[in-house]
Amino acid sequence: MKISNNTDEVVVKTENLTKKFGNLVAVNELNLKIHRGEIFGFLGPNGSGKTTTIGMLIGLIRPTAGRIEIFGQDIMESLTTILPRIGVVMEKPGLYPYLSGSDNLLVLARVSGGVNHKRIGEVLELVGLTSRADDKFQTYSMGMKQRLAIAAALLSDPEFIILDEPTNGLDPSGMKEVRELIKSLGNQGKTMFLNSHLLHEVEQVCDHLAIVKQGKVIAQGETSHLLRRGGALQLRVTDTEKAISILKSTEWISSVTREDDSIQVDVPLERAADISALLAKNNIFLSEMKARESTLETFFLEVTGG
Amino acid sequence: MNQLLGVEMLKIRKRMMTWILLAVLVAFMVLYVVFSYLSVTSSSSNVSPQEHSALKIALQFPLAFTLILSVTQSIGIILLIILAASLIGNEYGWGTVSQVIGRKGRRTLYMDAKVVALIVITLLLVLIGLAIGTLLSIFTTYKLAGGVNWDFFTSSFAGHLIKMFGWTAFTIMIYILLAMFFATLGRSVIAGIGGALGYHFIEAILVGVFNNASGWSHRIPDYLIGHNAQSLLVTGLDRGPFGSSTNIPSGLHATVVLIIYGMVFLGMILYLFRRQDLTA
Repeated sequence: MKISNNTDEVVVKTENLTKKFGNLVAVNELNLKIHRGEIFGFLGPNGSGKTTTIGMLIGLIRPTAGRIEIFGQDIMESLTTILPRIGVVMEKPGLYPYLSGSDNLLVLARVSGGVNHKRIGEVLELVGLTSRADDKFQTYSMGMKQRLAIAAALLSDPEFIILDEPTNGLDPSGMKEVRELIKSLGNQGKTMFLNSHLLHEVEQVCDHLAIVKQGKVIAQGETSHLLRRGGALQLRVTDTEKAISILKSTEWISSVTREDDSIQVDVPLERAADISALLAKNNIFLSEMKARESTLETFFLEVTGG
Repeated sequence: MNQLLGVEMLKIRKRMMTWILLAVLVAFMVLYVVFSYLSVTSSSSNVSPQEHSALKIALQFPLAFTLILSVTQSIGIILLIILAASLIGNEYGWGTVSQVIGRKGRRTLYMDAKVVALIVITLLLVLIGLAIGTLLSIFTTYKLAGGVNWDFFTSSFAGHLIKMFGWTAFTIMIYILLAMFFATLGRSVIAGIGGALGYHFIEAILVGVFNNASGWSHRIPDYLIGHNAQSLLVTGLDRGPFGSSTNIPSGLHATVVLIIYGMVFLGMILYLFRRQDLTA
């Protein structure tokens, strides 16, 4: 599959996407934008509508309201032309237990159309299942099942790959392999959508992310930018008491805490210069200023209130 | 459509269940004919002289074909209800329905492929039942009549037999659609089997009750599936062992009623499936 290098191209765009199940609002006016080549992390607490969103992206679940555009086409109108360009690894592998690994891929290759026999061998090789290709799926370990599901998603060499908890049930080395695979696919220019509850996994592989809570996006953007936004500055100054008093009375600073002879200021890291200027204006001078980037975990807990 | 049909046939062929159901069909046919033959030939048989005489004729050609197809229909309905319900219900349970729809998107085509695959399987099942029954009937005719005289097998008889073959498959298909409907509605194998077999057995009881009733309720069985399915088969070649029963609808009536049921079930399956939210 030839992939355009235009990173400005929007691959996925949702507008006020909403799904209600009776009175329960699973997804609430969700607005997402994913550009070509991004590895996009989709995070949220359990029951926040992540899997429902994926279901709507691939036409399994009918939205109650809103719009989804993939590759610039409305999915309600062009679903059958869009789907062959998407690969999906679902939370549950969704393969036939009584068929062998290669027969499962054969079935899905025929369903997709345009996939030759050689490609089945290639994807089996890619996920390291060539030697077990003729064994029945039901005899596979959880990790092998997940790897076969990844192979199935890659069959048609899709441009856009959705992964819903792809490392579920994998041991640490399996998780590492999947992370490497995601990164390598990202390096090939494929656009990835990763739904995972493993925050360090998302932090390691995703360059962009969105955090949802109760079906609504509460934070979205570049991973590095969001982590800076949730970061803190550690200061040493000439007059600690006076500095704390000034910083606490400043509106755009969310919290100030004293740690021995230093001060920790919770503030977006790009405001470091503003802090320096503010203190200087009050005749307080910095002897040290260190940026402490937030981890995704602390940022996630902060924005979700967890 | 051809690709999806090929996929469905591959899945059916590779399932152990298919072969077990086939073995059950063969065993049932053999046991049915063997026990019927033994009850006719045994001096200690409990059957009445009239029943004895009717069964003896039914085990010989040409009437044996009616018996073969009737038995194939009875067991075929149960076996194919199980297969059809599994073919739909398991896809929900395994999550494979989402896997397939998530890469194809064409829900109607997906369900149509299953219906066509089950039509092919039904035709094969009836053909196998007919073949086994014919072999067994050669034996029973030979033993009961002292030989097989094929003079009855004219082109006109062959035409009737083909028609009967089609009707047998057609009546089984109505139950298959019923099982598919329940499996789609309940998204499970149990719902499909329970719903369709439950209807099948409850209807048999209801027909007995309504047949003994008076007034308009006496005609209710004329609009039920099983009664019409049996009527269609019985009116095909010869009433044979069922000849005493005059309380059956005409072939045309049965055909129309069953076609309406089939269309309603198919319509409901497609409507439900197109509207369902599937788990990702």
